[in-house]
Amino acid sequence: MGGTFVVTLREGFEAALIMGIVYTYLQKIGAERHYRYATRGGLLGVLASVALGVLVTAMSGPLLDLGPDVIGLAVILVAVTVLTWHGYWMQQHARAVKGDVQRRIDEAQASHRLWTIGVLAFTGVFREGAETVLFLWGLLTQATSPSGWASATGAVLGLAMAATLGWAIFRGGRHISLQRFFAVTSVFLLLLAAGMFSTGAGRLEAMGVLPQSSMAWDTSHVLDDHGVVGGFLNGLVGYRARPSWIEAGSYLFYLVVAGALLFRSGPPKPRARAPRGQIPAHAA
Amino acid sequence: MGKSFNRLIACVVVALASVVGAASAADAPQEVPLTIEKNQFQPNEVKVKANAPFVLVITNKSAKAAEFESKDLRVEKVVPAGKTVNVRIRALKPGTYSFLDDFNQQATGRIVAE
Repeated sequence: MGGTFVVTLREGFEAALIMGIVYTYLQKIGAERHYRYATRGGLLGVLASVALGVLVTAMSGPLLDLGPDVIGLAVILVAVTVLTWHGYWMQQHARAVKGDVQRRIDEAQASHRLWTIGVLAFTGVFREGAETVLFLWGLLTQATSPSGWASATGAVLGLAMAATLGWAIFRGGRHISLQRFFAVTSVFLLLLAAGMFSTGAGRLEAMGVLPQSSMAWDTSHVLDDHGVVGGFLNGLVGYRARPSWIEAGSYLFYLVVAGALLFRSGPPKPRARAPRGQIPAHAA
Repeated sequence: MGKSFNRLIACVVVALASVVGAASAADAPQEVPLTIEKNQFQPNEVKVKANAPFVLVITNKSAKAAEFESKDLRVEKVVPAGKTVNVRIRALKPGTYSFLDDFNQQATGRIVAE
Protein backbone atom coordinates (compact mmCIF):
# COMPACT_ATOMS: atom_id res chain seq x y z
CA MET A 1 0.00 0.00 0.00
CA GLY A 2 2.83 2.38 0.89
CA GLY A 3 4.50 1.73 -2.46
CA THR A 4 1.47 2.60 -4.56
CA PHE A 5 0.80 5.65 -2.37
CA VAL A 6 4.24 7.04 -3.18
CA VAL A 7 3.86 6.34 -6.91
CA THR A 8 0.60 8.27 -7.36
CA LEU A 9 1.68 10.99 -4.95
CA ARG A 10 4.78 11.55 -7.05
CA GLU A 11 2.91 11.38 -10.34
CA GLY A 12 0.16 13.68 -9.11
CA PHE A 13 2.39 16.13 -7.26
CA GLU A 14 3.54 18.12 -10.25
CA ALA A 15 -0.01 18.43 -11.60
CA ALA A 16 -1.29 19.50 -8.17
CA LEU A 17 1.47 22.11 -7.80
CA ILE A 18 0.76 23.60 -11.20
CA MET A 19 -3.01 23.65 -10.64
CA GLY A 20 -2.50 25.22 -7.21
CA ILE A 21 -0.22 27.89 -8.66
CA VAL A 22 -2.51 28.59 -11.60
CA TYR A 23 -5.61 29.11 -9.43
CA THR A 24 -3.67 31.24 -6.95
CA TYR A 25 -2.33 33.24 -9.83
CA LEU A 26 -5.81 33.94 -11.20
CA GLN A 27 -6.95 34.89 -7.72
CA LYS A 28 -3.95 37.19 -7.27
CA ILE A 29 -4.60 39.13 -10.44
CA GLY A 30 -8.23 39.47 -9.46
CA ALA A 31 -9.49 37.16 -12.19
CA GLU A 32 -11.45 34.72 -10.04
CA ARG A 33 -14.22 34.67 -12.58
CA HIS A 34 -11.75 33.14 -15.02
CA TYR A 35 -11.09 30.06 -12.91
CA ARG A 36 -12.87 28.17 -15.65
CA TYR A 37 -9.79 28.44 -17.89
CA ALA A 38 -7.77 26.50 -15.35
CA THR A 39 -10.61 24.12 -14.57
CA ARG A 40 -11.26 23.31 -18.22
CA GLY A 41 -7.57 22.89 -18.96
CA GLY A 42 -7.21 20.53 -16.02
CA LEU A 43 -10.32 18.54 -16.93
CA LEU A 44 -9.21 18.27 -20.56
CA GLY A 45 -5.87 17.03 -19.23
CA VAL A 46 -7.67 14.28 -17.29
CA LEU A 47 -9.77 13.32 -20.32
CA ALA A 48 -6.72 13.26 -22.60
CA SER A 49 -4.89 11.12 -20.03
CA VAL A 50 -7.70 8.58 -19.93
CA ALA A 51 -7.92 8.60 -23.74
CA LEU A 52 -4.18 8.06 -24.13
CA GLY A 53 -4.26 5.36 -21.45
CA VAL A 54 -6.96 3.49 -23.37
CA LEU A 55 -5.18 4.08 -26.67
CA VAL A 56 -1.84 2.77 -25.40
CA THR A 57 -3.56 -0.38 -24.17
CA ALA A 58 -5.10 -0.86 -27.61
CA MET A 59 -1.93 -0.06 -29.59
CA SER A 60 0.67 -2.56 -30.65
CA GLY A 61 3.76 -2.84 -32.85
CA PRO A 62 5.68 0.25 -33.97
CA LEU A 63 2.85 2.50 -32.88
CA LEU A 64 3.23 1.31 -29.30
CA ASP A 65 7.03 1.47 -29.57
CA LEU A 66 7.16 5.08 -30.72
CA GLY A 67 3.75 6.72 -30.32
CA PRO A 68 3.95 7.39 -26.58
CA ASP A 69 7.52 8.71 -26.95
CA VAL A 70 6.50 11.22 -29.60
CA ILE A 71 3.48 12.34 -27.57
CA GLY A 72 5.65 12.56 -24.45
CA LEU A 73 8.21 14.73 -26.23
CA ALA A 74 5.55 16.98 -27.71
CA VAL A 75 3.99 17.48 -24.27
CA ILE A 76 7.38 18.33 -22.77
CA LEU A 77 7.98 20.83 -25.54
CA VAL A 78 4.61 22.53 -25.19
CA ALA A 79 4.95 22.56 -21.40
CA VAL A 80 8.40 24.18 -21.51
CA THR A 81 7.17 26.78 -24.02
CA VAL A 82 4.08 27.67 -22.01
CA LEU A 83 5.98 27.71 -18.71
CA THR A 84 8.60 30.04 -20.14
CA TRP A 85 6.04 32.31 -21.69
CA HIS A 86 3.98 32.39 -18.53
CA GLY A 87 7.02 32.99 -16.33
CA TYR A 88 8.16 35.83 -18.56
CA TRP A 89 4.75 37.38 -18.53
CA MET A 90 4.41 36.97 -14.78
CA GLN A 91 7.66 38.87 -14.26
CA GLN A 92 6.53 41.70 -16.49
CA HIS A 93 3.27 41.76 -14.68
CA ALA A 94 4.81 41.70 -11.21
CA ARG A 95 6.75 44.84 -12.12
CA ALA A 96 3.74 46.58 -13.52
CA VAL A 97 0.99 45.93 -10.99
CA LYS A 98 0.46 48.19 -8.04
CA GLY A 99 -2.82 48.27 -6.22
CA ASP A 100 -5.88 48.93 -8.34
CA VAL A 101 -7.57 45.59 -8.84
CA GLN A 102 -9.62 46.55 -11.86
CA ARG A 103 -6.58 47.60 -13.83
CA ARG A 104 -4.96 44.31 -12.98
CA ILE A 105 -7.82 42.41 -14.55
CA ASP A 106 -7.74 44.56 -17.64
CA GLU A 107 -4.02 44.11 -17.99
CA ALA A 108 -4.29 40.40 -17.46
CA GLN A 109 -6.83 40.05 -20.19
CA ALA A 110 -5.22 42.46 -22.57
CA SER A 111 -1.59 41.44 -22.37
CA HIS A 112 -1.89 37.77 -21.57
CA ARG A 113 -4.42 35.61 -23.28
CA LEU A 114 -5.92 33.64 -20.46
CA TRP A 115 -6.02 30.52 -22.59
CA THR A 116 -2.32 30.03 -21.90
CA ILE A 117 -3.45 29.39 -18.32
CA GLY A 118 -5.63 26.63 -19.74
CA VAL A 119 -2.73 25.16 -21.71
CA LEU A 120 -0.53 25.30 -18.62
CA ALA A 121 -3.16 23.43 -16.60
CA PHE A 122 -3.63 20.95 -19.43
CA THR A 123 0.04 20.06 -19.85
CA GLY A 124 0.54 20.00 -16.08
CA VAL A 125 -2.11 17.31 -15.73
CA PHE A 126 -1.49 15.45 -18.98
CA ARG A 127 2.27 15.06 -18.62
CA GLU A 128 2.10 12.25 -16.08
CA GLY A 129 -1.62 11.67 -16.52
CA ALA A 130 -1.74 8.74 -18.95
CA GLU A 131 0.85 6.93 -16.89
CA THR A 132 -1.18 7.41 -13.74
CA VAL A 133 -4.32 6.19 -15.50
CA LEU A 134 -2.57 3.00 -16.63
CA PHE A 135 -1.09 2.46 -13.21
CA LEU A 136 -4.44 2.90 -11.47
CA TRP A 137 -6.21 0.75 -14.02
CA GLY A 138 -3.73 -2.06 -13.47
CA LEU A 139 -4.24 -1.84 -9.71
CA LEU A 140 -8.02 -1.83 -9.96
CA THR A 141 -8.05 -4.98 -12.09
CA GLN A 142 -5.99 -6.60 -9.32
CA ALA A 143 -8.24 -5.38 -6.54
CA THR A 144 -9.84 -8.75 -5.93
CA SER A 145 -7.71 -9.74 -2.95
CA PRO A 146 -7.22 -7.85 0.33
CA SER A 147 -3.65 -6.90 -0.65
CA GLY A 148 -4.90 -5.80 -4.06
CA TRP A 149 -7.45 -3.58 -2.39
CA ALA A 150 -4.81 -2.15 -0.10
CA SER A 151 -2.63 -1.27 -3.11
CA ALA A 152 -5.51 0.36 -4.95
CA THR A 153 -6.53 2.28 -1.82
CA GLY A 154 -2.94 3.44 -1.34
CA ALA A 155 -2.84 4.73 -4.91
CA VAL A 156 -6.09 6.64 -4.55
CA LEU A 157 -4.90 8.10 -1.24
CA GLY A 158 -1.67 9.18 -2.94
CA LEU A 159 -3.64 11.13 -5.53
CA ALA A 160 -5.83 12.61 -2.80
CA MET A 161 -2.70 13.66 -0.92
CA ALA A 162 -1.32 15.35 -4.05
CA ALA A 163 -4.61 17.17 -4.57
CA THR A 164 -4.57 18.27 -0.92
CA LEU A 165 -1.09 19.72 -1.36
CA GLY A 166 -2.29 21.65 -4.41
CA TRP A 167 -5.19 22.95 -2.38
CA ALA A 168 -2.85 23.91 0.46
CA ILE A 169 -0.78 25.98 -1.96
CA PHE A 170 -3.92 27.74 -3.08
CA ARG A 171 -5.02 28.41 0.50
CA GLY A 172 -1.58 29.46 1.65
CA GLY A 173 -0.78 31.40 -1.52
CA ARG A 174 -3.74 33.68 -0.99
CA HIS A 175 -2.14 35.17 2.08
CA ILE A 176 1.29 36.01 0.78
CA SER A 177 1.90 39.18 -1.15
CA LEU A 178 1.52 39.32 -4.88
CA GLN A 179 5.16 40.23 -5.39
CA ARG A 180 6.42 37.40 -3.24
CA PHE A 181 4.08 34.89 -4.85
CA PHE A 182 5.26 35.88 -8.32
CA ALA A 183 8.91 35.83 -7.27
CA VAL A 184 8.71 32.39 -5.64
CA THR A 185 6.60 30.75 -8.33
CA SER A 186 8.61 32.13 -11.23
CA VAL A 187 11.80 30.68 -9.76
CA PHE A 188 10.06 27.38 -9.13
CA LEU A 189 8.50 27.24 -12.60
CA LEU A 190 11.87 28.13 -14.11
CA LEU A 191 13.51 25.15 -12.39
CA LEU A 192 10.60 22.89 -13.32
CA ALA A 193 10.87 23.91 -16.97
CA ALA A 194 14.66 23.50 -16.92
CA GLY A 195 14.19 19.95 -15.65
CA MET A 196 11.69 19.21 -18.41
CA PHE A 197 13.92 20.75 -21.04
CA SER A 198 16.82 18.61 -19.91
CA THR A 199 14.61 15.49 -19.83
CA GLY A 200 13.49 16.22 -23.39
CA ALA A 201 17.08 16.64 -24.53
CA GLY A 202 17.97 13.35 -22.82
CA ARG A 203 15.13 11.57 -24.64
CA LEU A 204 16.33 12.93 -27.97
CA GLU A 205 19.80 11.74 -27.08
CA ALA A 206 18.52 8.26 -26.24
CA MET A 207 16.55 8.15 -29.52
CA GLY A 208 19.63 8.98 -31.54
CA VAL A 209 18.41 12.39 -32.65
CA LEU A 210 21.11 14.14 -30.64
CA PRO A 211 24.67 12.82 -30.46
CA GLN A 212 25.57 10.69 -27.50
CA SER A 213 27.48 12.27 -24.65
CA SER A 214 29.18 10.74 -21.65
CA MET A 215 28.11 10.93 -18.02
CA ALA A 216 28.70 14.32 -16.44
CA TRP A 217 28.73 13.11 -12.84
CA ASP A 218 27.54 10.28 -10.65
CA THR A 219 25.86 11.09 -7.33
CA SER A 220 23.70 7.96 -7.26
CA HIS A 221 25.40 6.73 -4.07
CA VAL A 222 24.54 10.01 -2.31
CA LEU A 223 21.05 10.66 -3.65
CA ASP A 224 19.54 8.16 -6.06
CA ASP A 225 17.03 9.70 -8.48
CA HIS A 226 14.99 6.48 -8.38
CA GLY A 227 14.55 6.79 -4.60
CA VAL A 228 11.71 8.62 -2.86
CA VAL A 229 13.51 11.90 -2.10
CA GLY A 230 15.59 11.87 -5.29
CA GLY A 231 12.49 10.96 -7.29
CA PHE A 232 10.58 13.97 -5.97
CA LEU A 233 13.54 16.28 -6.58
CA ASN A 234 13.76 14.84 -10.07
CA GLY A 235 10.14 15.72 -10.78
CA LEU A 236 10.32 19.17 -9.21
CA VAL A 237 13.66 20.64 -10.16
CA GLY A 238 15.03 18.03 -12.55
CA TYR A 239 17.59 16.48 -10.19
CA ARG A 240 19.59 13.72 -11.86
CA ALA A 241 22.05 11.34 -10.26
CA ARG A 242 23.83 10.32 -13.47
CA PRO A 243 23.11 12.86 -16.18
CA SER A 244 24.82 13.00 -19.54
CA TRP A 245 26.69 16.14 -20.56
CA ILE A 246 23.86 16.96 -22.93
CA GLU A 247 21.31 16.74 -20.14
CA ALA A 248 23.39 18.76 -17.69
CA GLY A 249 24.31 21.26 -20.40
CA SER A 250 20.76 21.74 -21.63
CA TYR A 251 19.57 22.28 -18.05
CA LEU A 252 22.16 25.01 -17.58
CA PHE A 253 21.47 26.43 -21.03
CA TYR A 254 17.78 26.74 -20.29
CA LEU A 255 18.41 28.26 -16.85
CA VAL A 256 20.74 30.89 -18.27
CA VAL A 257 18.64 31.80 -21.32
CA ALA A 258 15.24 31.74 -19.65
CA GLY A 259 16.66 33.21 -16.46
CA ALA A 260 18.10 36.13 -18.43
CA LEU A 261 14.78 36.59 -20.16
CA LEU A 262 12.90 36.55 -16.89
CA PHE A 263 15.19 38.48 -14.62
CA ARG A 264 17.10 40.66 -17.02
CA SER A 265 16.15 43.92 -15.30
CA GLY A 266 17.23 42.66 -11.91
CA PRO A 267 14.86 41.93 -9.04
CA PRO A 268 11.24 42.89 -9.58
CA LYS A 269 10.69 46.49 -8.60
CA PRO A 270 7.53 48.49 -9.05
CA ARG A 271 8.29 50.53 -12.13
CA ALA A 272 6.20 53.64 -12.42
CA ARG A 273 3.79 53.35 -15.28
CA ALA A 274 3.29 57.05 -15.58
CA PRO A 275 6.50 58.44 -17.12
CA ARG A 276 4.89 58.64 -20.50
CA GLY A 277 2.53 61.29 -19.20
CA GLN A 278 5.23 63.05 -17.25
CA ILE A 279 7.78 63.36 -19.97
CA PRO A 280 6.29 66.53 -21.43
CA ALA A 281 6.47 68.11 -17.99
CA HIS A 282 10.18 67.30 -17.74
CA ALA A 283 10.82 68.19 -21.31
CA ALA A 284 9.08 71.47 -21.00
CA MET B 1 0.29 35.77 -31.38
CA GLY B 2 -2.01 32.80 -30.81
CA LYS B 3 -1.99 31.72 -34.45
CA SER B 4 1.74 31.86 -34.93
CA PHE B 5 2.19 30.07 -31.62
CA ASN B 6 -0.11 27.27 -32.76
CA ARG B 7 1.73 27.04 -36.05
CA LEU B 8 5.07 26.86 -34.26
CA ILE B 9 3.84 24.01 -32.07
CA ALA B 10 2.42 22.16 -35.07
CA CYS B 11 5.69 22.51 -37.01
CA VAL B 12 7.77 21.26 -34.13
CA VAL B 13 5.49 18.26 -33.55
CA VAL B 14 5.67 17.29 -37.23
CA ALA B 15 9.45 17.72 -37.21
CA LEU B 16 9.80 15.58 -34.10
CA ALA B 17 7.58 12.86 -35.53
CA SER B 18 9.56 12.68 -38.77
CA VAL B 19 12.91 12.64 -36.99
CA VAL B 20 11.77 9.83 -34.71
CA GLY B 21 10.34 7.98 -37.70
CA ALA B 22 13.61 8.29 -39.59
CA ALA B 23 15.59 7.13 -36.57
CA SER B 24 13.42 4.01 -36.27
CA ALA B 25 13.73 3.10 -39.94
CA ALA B 26 17.50 2.51 -39.73
CA ASP B 27 19.31 -0.85 -39.47
CA ALA B 28 18.18 -3.86 -37.42
CA PRO B 29 20.38 -4.35 -34.35
CA GLN B 30 20.50 -7.30 -31.99
CA GLU B 31 17.32 -8.06 -30.03
CA VAL B 32 17.55 -8.66 -26.29
CA PRO B 33 14.46 -10.19 -24.68
CA LEU B 34 13.21 -9.13 -21.25
CA THR B 35 10.07 -10.42 -19.58
CA ILE B 36 8.03 -8.98 -16.73
CA GLU B 37 6.35 -11.76 -14.82
CA LYS B 38 5.25 -12.22 -11.21
CA ASN B 39 6.46 -8.70 -10.31
CA GLN B 40 9.98 -9.44 -11.47
CA PHE B 41 12.15 -8.93 -14.53
CA GLN B 42 13.29 -12.11 -16.24
CA PRO B 43 16.25 -12.05 -16.44
CA ASN B 44 17.12 -9.29 -14.03
CA GLU B 45 20.62 -9.00 -15.37
CA VAL B 46 21.10 -8.58 -19.09
CA LYS B 47 24.52 -8.81 -20.70
CA VAL B 48 25.01 -6.88 -23.91
CA LYS B 49 27.95 -6.03 -26.11
CA ALA B 50 29.39 -2.63 -25.37
CA ASN B 51 29.58 -0.06 -28.17
CA ALA B 52 26.81 -1.69 -30.21
CA PRO B 53 23.19 -0.59 -30.34
CA PHE B 54 20.53 -3.15 -29.45
CA VAL B 55 16.79 -3.48 -29.01
CA LEU B 56 15.24 -4.43 -25.71
CA VAL B 57 12.15 -6.51 -26.43
CA ILE B 58 10.11 -6.14 -23.26
CA THR B 59 7.13 -8.42 -22.80
CA ASN B 60 4.75 -7.88 -19.93
CA LYS B 61 3.21 -11.24 -19.02
CA SER B 62 1.55 -9.96 -15.86
CA ALA B 63 -2.03 -8.75 -15.62
CA LYS B 64 -1.18 -5.11 -14.91
CA ALA B 65 0.66 -2.39 -16.77
CA ALA B 66 4.33 -1.87 -16.07
CA GLU B 67 6.66 0.99 -16.80
CA PHE B 68 10.16 0.17 -17.81
CA GLU B 69 12.21 3.04 -16.55
CA SER B 70 15.90 3.71 -16.62
CA LYS B 71 17.28 7.13 -15.91
CA ASP B 72 20.71 5.83 -16.89
CA LEU B 73 19.38 4.93 -20.34
CA ARG B 74 16.94 7.87 -20.44
CA VAL B 75 14.04 5.57 -21.16
CA GLU B 76 10.55 5.66 -19.68
CA LYS B 77 8.25 3.24 -21.40
CA VAL B 78 4.83 1.97 -20.44
CA VAL B 79 4.32 -1.71 -21.22
CA PRO B 80 0.59 -2.49 -21.00
CA ALA B 81 -0.49 -5.87 -19.62
CA GLY B 82 0.10 -8.67 -22.11
CA LYS B 83 1.93 -6.45 -24.59
CA THR B 84 5.41 -6.36 -26.05
CA VAL B 85 7.33 -3.14 -26.55
CA ASN B 86 10.58 -2.63 -28.43
CA VAL B 87 12.99 -0.11 -27.00
CA ARG B 88 15.98 0.86 -29.10
CA ILE B 89 19.05 1.46 -27.00
CA ARG B 90 22.09 3.24 -28.38
CA ALA B 91 25.58 1.86 -28.18
CA LEU B 92 26.58 1.79 -24.52
CA LYS B 93 29.99 2.31 -23.07
CA PRO B 94 31.16 -0.60 -20.90
CA GLY B 95 29.42 -0.34 -17.56
CA THR B 96 26.30 -1.12 -15.56
CA TYR B 97 22.96 0.52 -16.27
CA SER B 98 20.12 0.00 -13.84
CA PHE B 99 16.42 -0.14 -14.66
CA LEU B 100 13.19 -0.77 -12.78
CA ASP B 101 9.46 -1.06 -13.13
CA ASP B 102 8.29 2.36 -12.03
CA PHE B 103 4.84 0.94 -11.26
CA ASN B 104 6.31 -1.71 -9.00
CA GLN B 105 9.66 -0.63 -7.74
CA GLN B 106 10.59 -3.98 -6.22
CA ALA B 107 11.13 -5.16 -9.78
CA THR B 108 14.62 -4.03 -10.66
CA GLY B 109 17.39 -5.15 -12.93
CA ARG B 110 20.49 -4.04 -14.71
CA ILE B 111 22.13 -4.09 -18.07
CA VAL B 112 25.80 -4.92 -18.12
CA ALA B 113 27.59 -3.72 -21.22
CA GLU B 114 31.00 -5.33 -21.75
